[in-house]
Amino acid sequence: MTSADSEHAAHHRGQSYEELAPLFAELAGVSRQDPRYEELRDKLVTEHLPVAQHIARRFSHRGEPQEDLTQVATLGLINAVDRFDPERGVDFLSYAVPTIMGEVRRHFRDTGWAVRVPRRLQERHLSVSSAISTLSQELGRAPSPSEIAKHLGITRNQVYEGLEASNAYRSSSLDELLTDTDEIPLGDAIGEHDLELGEVENREAIRPLLAELGERERRIVVLRFFRSMTQTQIAEQIGISQMHVSRLLSRTLAWLRNRLETDVGPETNER
Amino acid sequence: MRLERGVGVSTSRPDWSQSEVAAEPATAAGEPVDEPRSVEVRVAAEPAQLSVMRAVVGDLAMRADFDVDSIADLRLAVDEVCSSLVRLATASASLVCRFRTEDDGLSLQAEVTSKDPSGPRTGTFSWRVLSALADSVAPSVESAGDDTGTYVVRIDLRKGRTVHE
Repeated sequence: MTSADSEHAAHHRGQSYEELAPLFAELAGVSRQDPRYEELRDKLVTEHLPVAQHIARRFSHRGEPQEDLTQVATLGLINAVDRFDPERGVDFLSYAVPTIMGEVRRHFRDTGWAVRVPRRLQERHLSVSSAISTLSQELGRAPSPSEIAKHLGITRNQVYEGLEASNAYRSSSLDELLTDTDEIPLGDAIGEHDLELGEVENREAIRPLLAELGERERRIVVLRFFRSMTQTQIAEQIGISQMHVSRLLSRTLAWLRNRLETDVGPETNER
Repeated sequence: MRLERGVGVSTSRPDWSQSEVAAEPATAAGEPVDEPRSVEVRVAAEPAQLSVMRAVVGDLAMRADFDVDSIADLRLAVDEVCSSLVRLATASASLVCRFRTEDDGLSLQAEVTSKDPSGPRTGTFSWRVLSALADSVAPSVESAGDDTGTYVVRIDLRKGRTVHE
């Protein structure tokens, strides 16, 4: 895949990258304090920018803004220019393409987390998350940590780690990347009559806030609190993971609490 | 913040290892059956402190082997309970949560001191959310019993655990 990429990029530019090879040799021989160093480095990065842009485009439509991806790919390119050793006998693209791809992949793995979570835990989180959906299918209900541990062949403490890592997750992230598409089949839209807010005394304050929510968030709130569906059932119906439903609910409830307090004040809301 | 083993035990010595023992699942071998495992946590009644309560209930529910839906529901419920109480609390009040892990469920009692004798309203959206998340939830108010004219406002909540063999 990476060699096909180098070829593609090279063909795309009509072999012009090969003409840049002598500049790498020159760069290697110039001191970093020499003004010529910066000049060569800038030229090499600028000339190879289409490679970074090409790779960034390959990762588009995965929930990350294109400009972020291009920036990350460009960072990867700069690293590649700085670390490339022309003495090794490989051409720059064979070295740069995997370096840039690695940088973009790392970006996808890392940006999902609000705090720095070791990769080992991120991977554990993903395996626990997928075990939850497999086991939910098999059992017809949400599994417990001991069932997840047995299924994955890991200890319960390791399952706890994976479950807790979820709390450090930012919500637009890998989880959505794996399970969402831009067009979520929401089926029948949730109408006013479905909300059954009749007996809720602050319904006049709640109604406009629910209407402000995204379609998916509103649907999750209605299904959980007005239709008594479990998070696992909702996850299956909407096509996202249970952990993702959990995060969306937590975020939505916090948002509703905050808005209720600031919009109408605690006196009229809860009094 | 202070974590104590046992309801009403008031050592001022922070002892995380003890609370760790208290958080062991009900099925742990050699545990006396008649002694429920309890953890008490006291924090300032401020929104920033709620993550502590959330983390404690999440940990207790995981170790008691609740299913992942119930673990998530308990975290949401504690968030909702504590947020409601923090809004009612007097300035510089403490928020106290007592968690009890039992063989067949988890119960918690959260309390703050408040100037308002009416307690949390039960007809609200927030209460609807709590009722959906827990098996039972009940508010109560009593006089603080001192000369401050304040009240102790509590919410008791319980969620059962389904044991699947």
